[in-house]
Amino acid sequence: MVNLTIDDKQVTAPKNATIYEAAKINGIKIPILCHDKKLKPFGACRMCLVEVEQMKGRQIPACTTPVTDGMIIRTSTPDIIKARKMVLELLLLNHPIDCPVCDKGGDCDLQNLTYEYQVNANRFSDEKFHHEIDYSNPLIERDMNRCVLCGKCARICDEIVSFGALTFISRGIETKIGCEFEGALNCEFCGSCVSVCPVGSLLARPFKYKARFWALTNHKSVCSYCGTGCNLTLGVKDNKVLTTVYDENQGFHNGQLCCRGRFGYQFINSDKRLTTPLVRKNGVLTEAGWDEALELVASRLKGSGASAAALSTPRLANEELVLFKKLMETAGSANYDHSAGYAHAALTEGFARSFGATASPATIPDIQKSDLLLVIKTDSYETHPVVGFEINMAVKNKGAKLNILSDKRGKLSKLPDATTLVHTPGCEVAVINAMAKAILDEKLAAGSAAAIPGYADLEKALAGFTPDAVAGQSGLSAAAIRQFATDYAKAGKALIIFPIGNAYPGHNADLASAVANLAILTGKFGEGSGVLCMAEKNNSQGAVDMGFYATSGLNAGQIIDGCASGAIKTLFIAGENPVVSYPNRAAVTAALDKVEFLVVSDLFMTETAAMADVVLPACSFAEKEGTFTSVDRRVQHIKPAIGKIGKSRTDFEIFGTLIAKLGGQAPATPAAVFGEIAASVPGYAGMSYASLGEVGAFAPVIVKATFVAPKAAVVEPVAGKLALVTGSVLYHNGTLSQFGEGPMYVCPEGYVELSRGDAAKLKIEENDLLNVASATGSTKLKARITPRMPEGVLFSPYHFGAAGINQVWSGAPVTWVTVTK
Amino acid sequence: MNPINTFVPIIQGLKITLSHLFKKPVTLQYPTERPKVAERFRGLHALNVSHNKAKCVACYLCPTVCPAKCITVEAGEDANHDKYAAKYEIDMLRCIFCGYCVEACPVDAIRMTGEFELANYSRKDFVYSKERLLEKK
Ligand code: SF4
Ligand code: SF4
Ligand code: SF4
Ligand code: SF4
Ligand code: SF4
Ligand code: FES
Repeated sequence: MVNLTIDDKQVTAPKNATIYEAAKINGIKIPILCHDKKLKPFGACRMCLVEVEQMKGRQIPACTTPVTDGMIIRTSTPDIIKARKMVLELLLLNHPIDCPVCDKGGDCDLQNLTYEYQVNANRFSDEKFHHEIDYSNPLIERDMNRCVLCGKCARICDEIVSFGALTFISRGIETKIGCEFEGALNCEFCGSCVSVCPVGSLLARPFKYKARFWALTNHKSVCSYCGTGCNLTLGVKDNKVLTTVYDENQGFHNGQLCCRGRFGYQFINSDKRLTTPLVRKNGVLTEAGWDEALELVASRLKGSGASAAALSTPRLANEELVLFKKLMETAGSANYDHSAGYAHAALTEGFARSFGATASPATIPDIQKSDLLLVIKTDSYETHPVVGFEINMAVKNKGAKLNILSDKRGKLSKLPDATTLVHTPGCEVAVINAMAKAILDEKLAAGSAAAIPGYADLEKALAGFTPDAVAGQSGLSAAAIRQFATDYAKAGKALIIFPIGNAYPGHNADLASAVANLAILTGKFGEGSGVLCMAEKNNSQGAVDMGFYATSGLNAGQIIDGCASGAIKTLFIAGENPVVSYPNRAAVTAALDKVEFLVVSDLFMTETAAMADVVLPACSFAEKEGTFTSVDRRVQHIKPAIGKIGKSRTDFEIFGTLIAKLGGQAPATPAAVFGEIAASVPGYAGMSYASLGEVGAFAPVIVKATFVAPKAAVVEPVAGKLALVTGSVLYHNGTLSQFGEGPMYVCPEGYVELSRGDAAKLKIEENDLLNVASATGSTKLKARITPRMPEGVLFSPYHFGAAGINQVWSGAPVTWVTVTK
Repeated sequence: MNPINTFVPIIQGLKITLSHLFKKPVTLQYPTERPKVAERFRGLHALNVSHNKAKCVACYLCPTVCPAKCITVEAGEDANHDKYAAKYEIDMLRCIFCGYCVEACPVDAIRMTGEFELANYSRKDFVYSKERLLEKK
């Protein structure tokens, strides 16, 4: 801490603070235009000029100057005010001042400063800019005539997003912000640049001209796409969510969002939302009242016992999942599950046996505190993009080493000094076992490891996994595997990150135990270390914590089989779309066809809902109250931002009414259920809506380590066929994002990605329509040729209803396919 | 009762009446006769037109400032990507004719005319759409 004087006030500030930060901590406001707390100091605009006595009263920028002991600073002398006015005059000289038609009006830093400093005339005159405005992009409009060249957009795209789409072009008066070769914007569309632009140069096109910022009511919420649990502010007008509003003080991510969170909100007020219950009469889904529909469902569930089953989406709130479970128990059935039954196995089986807990012993903030990040699959960026930002920052700003084990290269591979080992698909467990073996052989294990239960068995089980033995099968060199093992073991703090989800069947309990072994062997727990298993959806971790998965009953796969065999007669699906998101579409469709009575509660008429006997219109996250639990067990409270759409009801109300109809007792409010959760779920003790507040709270994870010998599946190559791996694409999450406009503008359909080598061999060109066929079935997908794919490997995202990859993929980590034109 | 006290006031009254018979009447024979409204009279609004287009750029300042909250603007994007009022509506039943909207407009797109005959038969006819508000030339 240093002592200094700002505006005659004695204050203290941290040693490494800038004058701007020191003033801010002490409640003194210095105006800024080009500075952003998330970015490195830049000093482009000179709005923040202050006088420092020791510098002979020279005017210096507060945002780039570090404090020193005894500094005497003045922030608003008449000279400074004059200088700031001049800065504004010069900016306004070329600025079009088209506030009436500029969407930034009312939320514009330049407008606000001009008002504050009362710059209502200009002593200078000059021509305005005549840059061409880029209207072509459906998400981001670029009008460089309004640009004040603060560089924030280019800096955030580089420093946090690490994409580098924007940069300064030309010099002097001609300087402007643009893309490479002045081309079109073709990037991740995270909208970070839009959010930090202080003027109306970069605008969110989906919100263009929709409303003025002051007309919006802001509601804090939590993103309902992936498990990162980003905090959002929804801008609401006339019961419509019109946009997401940037709030730099929100969440661990300081308001940063990904494409889905920022541009994918339109599903909330989509015209396609279901607004009334539907009951199948004479083969046709017909509008019905709630009473009729629920009565019908209740009569089917009553006393149905084990012939009833439930599948839920892990997007439901914790409170709803608890009620859903209660509903099934009231009906006498223990058959309930989520996420296709296997996508949560890393937590519910893997971590359960290795850590004695069904959650990750690490948090997202640990990423930037770590010395080494071991990431399994480059897809970790695509599945959880804002976690990806944390990885970017850890590597670029904090000097963390990044080691990646993946079946393809990806964006993370491009980070400075990142090492990516690209192994043949499906052998990640073998490689991690080989790393564990190397750690044992090179005596890098922590001294206490031998005392942990299961050590001897693990040692024995790993005997066959020497790096040399695994090298052949994985396509890696033994030296590289050993290097990864030593890097990990020798790092002070090391964190393992891997995603799980419907599209990653290989990321199973064995993978979880394999990485857990690494952490346990080397004792890598505590701040900046541990293992972070990133579950796919906004409340996937919550669904596990609430125990909404098969323990004594059938799991999702068995439930589908049960439908096909006739053992399951009534199936209640809440929010899930198995026809698209579960493997083997033909089998799932046949099973749902066969089941006697199918109830679906959803926001939309999905492929699954279209097959139902009763369809119940449910509410989106913006219309309900409850809690979501993020991948690192941050429990966050959401509240309704808008009224319910049409006659829709929350799943909470639906399950509550049904429980009552079955003669059970349902708690009346989500708060009451959360009280039960706090009393019974480990880690949630002591939580209440009031205590969660706006920032939420972490449910701690207590690790009871055990070594478990993971089974490593051996994937045998099939001659003449290519290895298809499924996964998530950056712009989508599950199947819900198909109803978000932003995601669909950027990535409207499925595709199959292949290497340049394979494309040349098969004479395939970009966008060729390919027939992808396996033993399960076939589908037609457009080709995308990229340098990141290794030869012999294909990648396809799984989110899409049309030409879905689950017509080809039967749930195996690797599917052998042929590709023809 | 004094007869003088009774008749003098009556006669005085009749005198005044009589004198009025020879004065110019103040009553306006509306509707056959039309009043002349002052320049600054605040009557029905008109949307100014320039280059065959409403000048309004849908900046939302008038609905924001309007104390009666009777202006509804919805912006649209035209073929040149310019902002225009796809919907512009004033609910005259709520308007208090304060003129704040005119004052707020940054592009001189709205003014108030001398038009005061706003009576109508049904409530919905008091909601003036953009077409009805466009200045008549
Ligand atoms: S949207 Fe994101 S990736 Fe694209 S230019 Fe802006 S910051 Fe960069
Ligand atoms: S486009 Fe916006 S953020 Fe980028 S330099 Fe210009 S004013 Fe700054
Ligand atoms: S989808 Fe995930 S990463 Fe993106 S904004 Fe939502 S929670 Fe954050
Ligand atoms: S005159 Fe006053 S009340 Fe009437 S529309 Fe204008 S601002 Fe509103
Ligand atoms: S203030 Fe003027 S330009 Fe703005 S919406 Fe009203 S009439 Fe249109
Ligand atoms: S805010 Fe300090 S120079 Fe721009």
